[in-house]
Amino acid sequence: MFRNTREGLALALPAAIFSTLLFLVPVCILLSEAFRAGGSWSLQGYIDFFSTPLNRTVFLRTLKLGVLVAGTAAVIGYAAAFCIVNLGPKSRGKVFGMVVLPLMISPVARTYAWIVILGRTGIVNEAITGLGLSDTPLRLLFTETAVFLGLLQLFLPLMIISLVSAMENIPRDVIPAARVLGASWIAVFFKVILPLTKEGLVIGGTLVFTGALTAYITPAILGGSKVLMLETLLYQRVNVSNDFVSASVIAMILIVMSFSANLLLKRIATARS
Amino acid sequence: MKTQLSILALASALGTAAHAEDKTLTISVYSFAQDEYKEALYDPFEQMCGCKLVVETGNSVERMAKIEANAADPVIDMAVISTQDALALARKDLIQPLDSAKLSNFDKLYDSAKDPVGDNMAVGYTYYATSIVYRSDLVDIASWSDLLGEDVAGQVALPNVTTTQGPLTLMMLGKSLGHEDDFGPVISEIGAHASDIVTFYSRSSELVQLMNQQEVIAAPVGRFAWASFKDAGLPFAWAEPEEGQAGGMNVMVMTKGNGNEELAYQFMDYWLSTEVQTKIGEMLVDSPANKEVELSPEAADNLTYGADVIESLNILPADEVLDKREGWVEQWNTEVIQ
Repeated sequence: MFRNTREGLALALPAAIFSTLLFLVPVCILLSEAFRAGGSWSLQGYIDFFSTPLNRTVFLRTLKLGVLVAGTAAVIGYAAAFCIVNLGPKSRGKVFGMVVLPLMISPVARTYAWIVILGRTGIVNEAITGLGLSDTPLRLLFTETAVFLGLLQLFLPLMIISLVSAMENIPRDVIPAARVLGASWIAVFFKVILPLTKEGLVIGGTLVFTGALTAYITPAILGGSKVLMLETLLYQRVNVSNDFVSASVIAMILIVMSFSANLLLKRIATARS
Repeated sequence: MKTQLSILALASALGTAAHAEDKTLTISVYSFAQDEYKEALYDPFEQMCGCKLVVETGNSVERMAKIEANAADPVIDMAVISTQDALALARKDLIQPLDSAKLSNFDKLYDSAKDPVGDNMAVGYTYYATSIVYRSDLVDIASWSDLLGEDVAGQVALPNVTTTQGPLTLMMLGKSLGHEDDFGPVISEIGAHASDIVTFYSRSSELVQLMNQQEVIAAPVGRFAWASFKDAGLPFAWAEPEEGQAGGMNVMVMTKGNGNEELAYQFMDYWLSTEVQTKIGEMLVDSPANKEVELSPEAADNLTYGADVIESLNILPADEVLDKREGWVEQWNTEVIQ
């Protein structure tokens, strides 16, 4: 495309300088704090972090909710994506637009909607008490369930979009052929659809898992200080305790978790094929 | 001749403008009510001193971190913070003692505002009471221990221990539960009731929202937030518990070696004046520390106002908060939010 490599480099240079100076350098400086103690290199920050019971609980909770959100999004996402790709072109455009629509609304607005839905006077509690399932309203806000629902709603569109893209590339006759040859729908999914959409699952899974790990607004609003996650704990460390070492340790843990999830999903996808 | 005069006038005007720009005072304040402060304090002061006021806002941690990071060459001249934060800065040698002789309004202050953290390191400019706001149609609050009672279980919120209101709540719960000198058993008691507590809030605005949504029906809060509840349309009441109200004070401090002391004293003195304290009080922003301030009945009703109220407040000494806070937070993290 370019007459020589210089042209290509010249075009890439502004973006490279911008990313290096304003992203990589500050992030590396900040993260290096996590490996320093008393003026020398050390892993003491990590030892201190994991020796605190609260931090261990928060770490495991974040991991658990990340896996649950990504797993549930994959299950719902496959069903939704399968329906979307089998719609006619007009309907597909409309339904796909509806899937994308929430991404255009601020996460703050979307999360606040859950307060209205899950509150003591919200529609869920009104339905529960109206149907006589409970005499008093249930406490749904500031629970792990509330954070799970908020995160799932926030990131499900990313999974659906990734899986729709992957499913559109499946040859049209493959699934009917498998059915004609006697495969059950479960066999069709595990033997045909899943292997052919693994790239979409890896991309969607990474986006949803990483998003759920690093989301701040949703756990802060729906979980508060009773359901701390690593992101909300990081915010507390910086803004309440002014403890940048601990905050850097949390940031590094989040980065490692995100990269590990991506590698693991790729590994699983490769192993299946 | 006319041209020469015009040039001279222009040069003189430019010179004055340049001189005014030279006189700059940088202050570090809480973020809230900045429009009201601008009207009642900042703009009149700029006109009076012919100087430029640079206002930096943020939460206490950010603002203190900035003062500490620039200790060698201060970028902030004066700051307003809580008493415990002022003591923390004093212990790090980041602020300088105040000369009360340079504050003409010093003698008008309530005695407890004259030297709240010791060694003349700070001077109080506002008080706040802390009590319990509750839904008077649903529950009755007569004691701080009612916060952990059956009537409000599942519908009560407490301030997080890391907030200014947190230790004050521990102190008053301690009084009601018979643990005045040791907050350890109080934190354990809160831990035992953790499932009955909706959340541990960090900002009063968060609590206002939760109480308006009827998620919470009782919670301790500073009087400065009362105006938000009063006009909300729900029957909120301000409790007068048998153990009394807790209270606190925000103070002014001067950074060490800022080189702008004269202007900073001038600004502090103006803020403490009866005129400014009255204006800010009438706007329902801050309760006055100047005892000569006379507020309208409506403003007085909303603020922490009057010698009787201020002298009856249970104030937690700044050094106790500073020395014991780390232990409280550790126990809190283990027993309450685990």
